[in-house]
Amino acid sequence: MKKTLKYLSAVAALALVTGVAVAPASHAAKIKACVVLDTGGVDDHSFNAGAWAGAQSTSAIADVSYLPSSSAADFAPNIKKFLDQKCAIIIGVGFSISGEIVKAGKANPGTKFAVVDDSAMDCNADYSVCNAVANVKGLTFSTDQAAFQAGYLAAGYSKTGTVATYGGAPYPTVTIFMDGYAKGVAYYNKAKGKNVKVLGWDPVKKTGTFVGDFSNTSKASQLSQGFEQQGADVIMPVAGGLGGSTAKESQTSGKSVTIWVDTDGYLSAPQYGSVLLTTVAKGLGAAVKSVITDVKKGTFTGSAYVGTLANGGVSISPLHDFASKVPSRLQLEVKMIGRQIASGSLKI
Amino acid sequence: MKKVWTRIAGSALLPFLSFLLAFIISGFFIAFSDATVLKNIGHPGKFITSALSTVGNAYLALFQGSIFDPNLTAGHGFMRGFYPLSETIVTATPLILTGLAVALAFQSGLFNIGAQGQFIFGAIGASYVGFHFTFTPVLHVILAIVAGVLCAAIYGGIVGLLKARTGAHEVIVTIMLNYIAGFFILWILKTTAFLRPRRIDPIAPEVNPSAQLPHLAGENFRLHAGILIALVAAYFVWWVLNRTTVGFQFRAVGANASAAKTAGISVSKVTIWTMSLCGALAGLGGAVHVLGSQYALTADIGGSFGFDAITVALLGRAKPFGTVLAALLFGALRTGGRTMQSNTTTPLDIVLVIQALIVLFIASPTLVRFIFKVKNLKTNAAMTAKGWNG
Repeated sequence: MKKTLKYLSAVAALALVTGVAVAPASHAAKIKACVVLDTGGVDDHSFNAGAWAGAQSTSAIADVSYLPSSSAADFAPNIKKFLDQKCAIIIGVGFSISGEIVKAGKANPGTKFAVVDDSAMDCNADYSVCNAVANVKGLTFSTDQAAFQAGYLAAGYSKTGTVATYGGAPYPTVTIFMDGYAKGVAYYNKAKGKNVKVLGWDPVKKTGTFVGDFSNTSKASQLSQGFEQQGADVIMPVAGGLGGSTAKESQTSGKSVTIWVDTDGYLSAPQYGSVLLTTVAKGLGAAVKSVITDVKKGTFTGSAYVGTLANGGVSISPLHDFASKVPSRLQLEVKMIGRQIASGSLKI
Repeated sequence: MKKVWTRIAGSALLPFLSFLLAFIISGFFIAFSDATVLKNIGHPGKFITSALSTVGNAYLALFQGSIFDPNLTAGHGFMRGFYPLSETIVTATPLILTGLAVALAFQSGLFNIGAQGQFIFGAIGASYVGFHFTFTPVLHVILAIVAGVLCAAIYGGIVGLLKARTGAHEVIVTIMLNYIAGFFILWILKTTAFLRPRRIDPIAPEVNPSAQLPHLAGENFRLHAGILIALVAAYFVWWVLNRTTVGFQFRAVGANASAAKTAGISVSKVTIWTMSLCGALAGLGGAVHVLGSQYALTADIGGSFGFDAITVALLGRAKPFGTVLAALLFGALRTGGRTMQSNTTTPLDIVLVIQALIVLFIASPTLVRFIFKVKNLKTNAAMTAKGWNG
């Protein structure tokens, strides 16, 4: 017993001594870019992963590091930790961290901040007055523009005259997809004099179908089956990783196709490639990368970044396997609509 | 006096050795998950030094992030270096209370897995009174805490009632009630009574300043009065268990329910009382968490406080004082893990490995006895077994 302890303390002491001696050297030329993740974790195949990949792509000019959050209680201490480490820019991922980032931004005007998926405004208690903060940049995405194209495509592709969508939870970043999608279908109906129905979202009443979270795969499959039974043959799940449940349902039943969201599913989830009509893509990584690059170049400003079709921040992915199955006329129309939205001649 | 110390040392030996083993084994995980260490695997000498420095750096960061960080003192004075310690205490405070909720149940032979649900109800009650009403400062805090405690005591009491009246096993019932609490908070945050104006994501308004627990060390530290409440609660649990008739009945039922019944103790009454009291303790944790550091109720307010509480109570050998120490240790691991991840490349998840290993060794004293060749290792096997036999 005594002998064991002696060895242990020797090893521990050695470890501590060598540990202090080999502390990592700092790279003076690089800036320090720090990312606080949402509760989804770094490998959620969705927006945390996308934002972190964007940060990692700047490793030539920045030392990047991240901290995961297991609940909202971790946000403030994680930000504080990065403040103590003198990060040049602290990027919060997800709109639920926005409040804490804004608070930190106001208290630390010398540090730069950004929030992915929120406008990061400083609002009063009842949200009636909101102001921008000079050192906090909000990165938001007009995903409804690309979703509008996807809705038009879905309506044109549907044989049954019924398409569907559902969300993970009624967050504004989720419903904006569903809104654009439903409006795209409505636009198709008006242009073609058709009556394609949308299940799962009512753009007037702002109500729709939701799983309740972003992890309940059985509920997601259930919803997808329900939509198929009601005749929907195109389904757009806006629920992060749950999209896989719908794509799987499409594969097994053969009754529907799936529209993916966030990152081109044909590339990020190739196992579902055969049923993915297209993807409503959101350029999270590119936005994060440009923020870090701006900080390095000294051109960072707090003015909001809004990803649109015009600046490439949002887009509709190539049809891949479906390029031969979708009438070329419809493909052309979808492209035209995209151009019209980008130029501002078509208002959603 | 000497006898007391030997007793403490005796009962602390198993946790300490488990702790030591967990750290040694986690050291291997840290070393073998590091890219530079693996690169050197062909050169024994280089491999060992790089492995030791990686593990040393990780544990050094763990210490710096949980107790004292000299880097923080620059320009802010020596005391600022203890900022990590204050964070450790803030993280540990709700854990102490949920840990007590599990420990007290162990003492009367019940396995309370429902601290999570009880914690959530405590948070809901405290949050509602906190943001919906305005009272004078001290009164408001007290009322908000009482509301949280009452909600959770009733929620815990349901378990006791079901067990006493129908014989439903508390393990099953508390697990089910955790789900109900989890979905209940999701639902209630969507109602107009709780949803913050102009928001559609599940978040309640912040509690009014009059309902917030006062800070203990100035505005630069998040340290709040919750830790005092938690310590008083720990003393209260010790006092009830060791100095009151009710506490004696609790322990008697815990030791042998049939014998207690023969001796004239109403087992069903004790069950209901214990579970209500456990609920109250976990609810106090939820209330303190909301009023002390979070201020706004969110769907994930419960975090994993209720589940970690089981580990904390086991590590603390179901004793109030031990639970406090175990909760502080877990708080330190959590806060230190953050620094470990950001200063070194060691992922925060290694902390979960350490926690799990500690429990594993505590639950298998024979293994620890075998490894360290200790003969008289005091175990508390009865405590863990009782919960299942009920």
